[in-house]
Amino acid sequence: MLEVKNLNVSYGRIQVIKDFTFSVGDEAIGFFGPNGAGKTTLINSIIGLVRPTSGEINFEGQSLLDRETHQIVRMGISVVPQDGELFPIMTVIENLRIGSAYIKVAREKTSERLEFVFKIFPILKERAFQLAGTMSGGQQRMLAVGRALMAMPRLLILDEPSVGLQPSLVTELFEKLAVIKTEGVSVLLSEQNVKQGLKVIDRGYVVENGAVVIESTADDLKNNEHVKRSYLGL
Amino acid sequence: MKIAKPLLILIVLAAAVLLPIVTEAYFISIAITILTFMTLALSWDMMLRTGQLSFGTAGFFGLGGYTGIIAAADFGVDPVIGIMLGGLVAGGIALILGMAILRLRGLYFAITTMALASVFMVIIRNLHRLTGGPSGKIVYNTLFNYDSNKVYWFMLAIAVGTVVISELFQRTRIHFAIDSIRADETVAKSHGVNIYKYLIFVFVVTSIIQGVIGATYALQYGFVYPESSFSPHYLLLPIAMALVGGIYSTIGPILGAIILGLSSEYLKLIMPYGHLVIYGVIIVVVVLFMPDGVYGAIKAFFMNRKRRLEER
Repeated sequence: MLEVKNLNVSYGRIQVIKDFTFSVGDEAIGFFGPNGAGKTTLINSIIGLVRPTSGEINFEGQSLLDRETHQIVRMGISVVPQDGELFPIMTVIENLRIGSAYIKVAREKTSERLEFVFKIFPILKERAFQLAGTMSGGQQRMLAVGRALMAMPRLLILDEPSVGLQPSLVTELFEKLAVIKTEGVSVLLSEQNVKQGLKVIDRGYVVENGAVVIESTADDLKNNEHVKRSYLGL
Repeated sequence: MKIAKPLLILIVLAAAVLLPIVTEAYFISIAITILTFMTLALSWDMMLRTGQLSFGTAGFFGLGGYTGIIAAADFGVDPVIGIMLGGLVAGGIALILGMAILRLRGLYFAITTMALASVFMVIIRNLHRLTGGPSGKIVYNTLFNYDSNKVYWFMLAIAVGTVVISELFQRTRIHFAIDSIRADETVAKSHGVNIYKYLIFVFVVTSIIQGVIGATYALQYGFVYPESSFSPHYLLLPIAMALVGGIYSTIGPILGAIILGLSSEYLKLIMPYGHLVIYGVIIVVVVLFMPDGVYGAIKAFFMNRKRRLEER
């Protein structure tokens, strides 16, 4: 589905992503790594917010490199940005409607999509007419995921969805992600919370200093010495 | 409440249409001026809703005026056609310029649009043959031959049309694009909004409105003159009206235009030349004590009252 080959990204003279190769099929994959490893840069270059210096990015056989962000999103890739980035002055339902308003296939099925999102996140239905900015952090994160799902993505990208949430909410959020995965959406998850992340993903990449250090299945990562020592605190 | 709102709109509209029957020419001329500035204020606010502060209002106003006068004087077209041409030329130039300057943001966009009015003025002042150069140009075939009642109804129709466009921008899918661009461009892009396309669209639509108003204004008096057609007056007054009435809404600029328009006429009568001082004081007081404008303050008052009633 998504294939990235030999990707290099630089900000000025500093190279942030080094010769990065990975792929996502009909599965959930994860990027794990510390702050500054290049996880967000990688996501931004997939959706065209950052332009790579070299390499290839293909989605369902088509190159994403010369496309604008809004075109890439319309191809079926949805992003939940770090910290959610909602529109606080709009209501919950308006935030959700924006998710499908500019993607033709999703727009025609807006009411179906709303039902789908409300089924996964019932709290959003209760709060439908509340201003997004007045909800709690956990609810806002749920709304951000719901908004991304409104676009009927085939690939859902989440940039550190657990950041700033209390542990019980993180658990709840990842339970929801597991449900979304079963609905036939491919997931690309970037996380620092490796313990929770490993519950959802099928395969994972450990990213350090802009390069892949380990690539393996979720079970193997759980038992990997480096992962245990650096990320799981065992 | 649901029936009250359309009824109120209907009453206001009927009163506006019947105004020339009950009043004299002096009030009609004031009403025409207020409608002119109201429409300019509304068009400026429509661009502001995308988060872009435009200072190009006077520029497109002047372009429309010159187009209308040249069309009527040199090509002998009917003034109404001249007004349409004024809108088309302003819109066409906005499209070409917009493709370049809408890559800019914030103050850079604001300063560039501000320069536009000066550039237009310098060009027009130097095209002697076509525009009459620094001494301006006159036309004898004015809009409805100085029949101020007809001019008033014509202006009212343009104002109502602008209100309808403004409400369409607020109520259809376009408002998601406009509001999300203002809130956060990166997130808007990430949800499939073609930012550039929508900015150009709004810029062109508002410029057409400004061009139409400029042509109507010029053709009702039958002359254009560089310093007055591109006067910063047509930029600053609409902005003041929108700020006083309340930005990001349709009703705000309308209220602002009526409040400032009427008070300026009244103050002019009781203290000639001194009226601008009080005028300035009104703007300062409103901006200081009602940061969301008069309409924002009214809305907040009713929201508070509703909340207090619910708490009882």
